[in-house]
Amino acid sequence: MKRAKTIGTALAALLYASGAPAAEHPGRAQIEKDGYKGPATCEECHPGTAKQFLGTVHWKHASKVDNVEHLDPKVEYGMKNRIYTMCNGNDVVNNLKEIPKNSAGHSKLTGCNTCHPGNHISDVGSTGPAAEAAVDCLVCHSSDYDFRQRKPYKDAQGRVVMGQDRSTKAALAVGKPGVKNCMVCHESAGGGVLIKRGLAFNKENDAHAAKGMVCVDCHKSKDHHVPTGFDPNNWANDGVRLACSDCHGDKPHKNADYNRHVAKIACQTCHIPHTGGAVAKDFTVWEQGEDKFWEPTTLKRDANETVPVYAWYNKTVRNEPHFIGPKGSRKDGKSKIYPFKIYMGKAFYDKETGKLLSMDFAPPMATGNARAGVESAARTLGMKDPAAVAKNAVPGWQTIYFASSHLVTKGKALNCVNCHGVNGVLNFRELGYSEAEVKKLTNPEIYFKQLVEMQKQEW
Amino acid sequence: MKRAAAVLLAAARVLLVVLAIGGVARAEEIKMVGVITKIDISGPDAKVATATLKDTKSEKTVDITVKDDLTLDKFKDHRIVEGDEIRCKYEVKDGKNVSNYFRKTAGC
Repeated sequence: MKRAKTIGTALAALLYASGAPAAEHPGRAQIEKDGYKGPATCEECHPGTAKQFLGTVHWKHASKVDNVEHLDPKVEYGMKNRIYTMCNGNDVVNNLKEIPKNSAGHSKLTGCNTCHPGNHISDVGSTGPAAEAAVDCLVCHSSDYDFRQRKPYKDAQGRVVMGQDRSTKAALAVGKPGVKNCMVCHESAGGGVLIKRGLAFNKENDAHAAKGMVCVDCHKSKDHHVPTGFDPNNWANDGVRLACSDCHGDKPHKNADYNRHVAKIACQTCHIPHTGGAVAKDFTVWEQGEDKFWEPTTLKRDANETVPVYAWYNKTVRNEPHFIGPKGSRKDGKSKIYPFKIYMGKAFYDKETGKLLSMDFAPPMATGNARAGVESAARTLGMKDPAAVAKNAVPGWQTIYFASSHLVTKGKALNCVNCHGVNGVLNFRELGYSEAEVKKLTNPEIYFKQLVEMQKQEW
Repeated sequence: MKRAAAVLLAAARVLLVVLAIGGVARAEEIKMVGVITKIDISGPDAKVATATLKDTKSEKTVDITVKDDLTLDKFKDHRIVEGDEIRCKYEVKDGKNVSNYFRKTAGC
């Protein structure tokens, strides 16, 4: 019987490969007949996939990192354990839990790992059969997922469990992840909609979205290893990288002068002229909302509301307590000029070591007491005398350079004058050019004839 | 004669300014934060929905007409549900409060 089922599934897969409608996922009849039983159903046709998934960044929220300074090459870093000022907490100190009651007597279940695709009993980085069975395949792969099911709740034993939609209806809509599957988590990272990167992947804000592309068209995974770029602040990676040139090649323009720029200017520099998301946050001062819960004070901006800064970047990262950003120079032979979203976050630093401290959001969310959050995190991390750590903690600012890799435009890309005009967006002096070079780079001689010719063609 | 022409020219300029201002005038955008008490949407193909928000400051309820695809999709798959706190901007058009911005306040 099992063999017949396997053959049937293989035939269905062949039919699919030979041109069946893309929306039709093989095995539909089987799922309708047997119902959806979680990863066990998926494993019928994709054996070993759940176990494989447990080794990815999406499950571990961490990986070894080889391009960031001052890290231990043997340790895995990521959302699981990092301390920085966009998210002053992490999966460890700000684990999903019931927070204390606020002044209105209300509590709630919240924490950083609410986006982890497990059930919280099998949590970030867990392994073994129970973890494999806990994978929420459909939250990424179903286009008909009922998000009312994906809420944390307390089970009979008092454990905080993350719900999942394991309905047959959701399973019958299985397929390649769509934009919304990714954006469920990636849109609201960092404390709210479009806070972290202002990443609005829609036709109004992104040329790729306007073409009908979805996230995984570029972030095309193999064995659930999702390729990513070299964002100075996004450390964890599956060991697979992507770049614009993977699709567009090294000579993406018809114009040879534009193509000449590709050697030193990243595509993003001209094609992502704006950025968005939070500009600054203060984790030392929390504000009370109308619901009587507290949130870190945040200066928000929408997608495309701010402009980037430009710096040489060789894809290695300077990592200091008050700065996370690109390393590189004009002369190292490896760097290009990239655009970055600048963000500044204020949080507490250890008085003794000068290192940035992390925060458990549960206490300040209920009471606004930020130092209580520092004390709780210090206790969770096993630091000596957590009360003293919190009491003596020193507030300070950290500057972070985020990559500006989305909000791509073709029609509104920077042209010659935007950079080579005397008030252009690139500060050539700060980028390492001499006065004589700056004078030459900002002289109309460099672009005048070409732009006049383009102007004639346009009209 | 010359004076009459000048008066006419001045009047024409005033008229132009009035017309220009009237032409670009927009309905006032109203901002609010409120909790959703009800969502009315008619099935998976709906192109419009009405969300009732209870203003967190005044506690008054306001019916908001939502037409943008992204928010409609979030209603349909319940990424936005009753009880969620929303930051909303809307304009009054033909007697309806039409949403320009409709986002959950909560994050991760």
